[in-house]
Amino acid sequence: MASKKLEKSENLDQPANSGNSADGALEVRSRAGALATESLSARTARFERDAMQYTNQLYAAALRYTKNPHDAQDLVQDTYAKAFTSFHQFEPGTNLKAWLYRILTTTFINTYRKDQRRPQISDGELEDWQIHAAASHTSNEGKSAEDEVLENLPDGDVKRALHEIPEEFRLAVFYADVEGYAYKEIAEILGIPAGTVMSRLHRGRKLLRELLMDYAKDRGFLKNAEGKE
Amino acid sequence: MTSNDFGIFPPFDDGDCESILQALFLFIDNEISDLSQAQALQLHLQQCPPCQVEMEHESRVINQLKSLLASSCCESAPEDLNRRIAAQTALLAAQMSNPTQVITEYRRTETTINGETLIEIQTTHEIRRDFPLS
Repeated sequence: MASKKLEKSENLDQPANSGNSADGALEVRSRAGALATESLSARTARFERDAMQYTNQLYAAALRYTKNPHDAQDLVQDTYAKAFTSFHQFEPGTNLKAWLYRILTTTFINTYRKDQRRPQISDGELEDWQIHAAASHTSNEGKSAEDEVLENLPDGDVKRALHEIPEEFRLAVFYADVEGYAYKEIAEILGIPAGTVMSRLHRGRKLLRELLMDYAKDRGFLKNAEGKE
Repeated sequence: MTSNDFGIFPPFDDGDCESILQALFLFIDNEISDLSQAQALQLHLQQCPPCQVEMEHESRVINQLKSLLASSCCESAPEDLNRRIAAQTALLAAQMSNPTQVITEYRRTETTINGETLIEIQTTHEIRRDFPLS
């Protein structure tokens, strides 16, 4: 009947994930397109070994986002769930803690902030730093007053002040001054341009310093009210 | 980092205290990667005592803030949270190793044109799993 028979079989016979082997071996395509194979149990072990060591840091960071322990715990737990299910996307050799912080940020934005429509910082913030940067020499009295206040700060003041400043500034300060990340790394974690990190950090520190001086004044620590710059 | 990296602010004028003072925090944060700019800033500080004083104060305050923040933002994860995460990981791993549904689709197309028959066979597998989290 047919003079010629062409059989064409699309090479789709192999499921992308042959997760039915004893070990549940998963085939994953890395971003580079190379086929990397890691058994699920190996990946789980790697996750437990490498990622679980950061729960304290993730929790401390989560507290800066949620400002309460209950939500912070849920946020960290959700972050670890997302991190585990997408762990094959993590590129070994890069900064795992920063990767977890990035997931923490997106999880927070997607789940905890979905309903709260909060005003975003205006686009004008990029110029903001110039307005608020110390553009002239300040008085020596102001400087020594600030030094004295910081030297004698009661426990809890810094945390209280940090939680009082707006979230955007608080997170920039946390990642820069607690975690010691460079602007570029903070930009990746928060998903914002590095220039925005710069202005938020600068503004955040300034607000923090003003609050700490205010607390001291309220306490009557600074006898000379003109102590502030 | 420099002004050039971000394109936000112009390269500072090294004779101008105002632009030097605006760049101090970048210097303290070690974010001025342009060597000539960093050197120009340092040179200005050496030659301008008021800016040098400002620099020392800023640097002292930022370092003080860093150590105060570091010692007050170091809460430990509650043991219960660690247990919850460990249990969650085990549960997710179990779910991932057991596909709940495998749908296999088989399609055979036979086309005959001018006595020539083309047979096309296409097989696709779809694995559906129940993930508690999307």
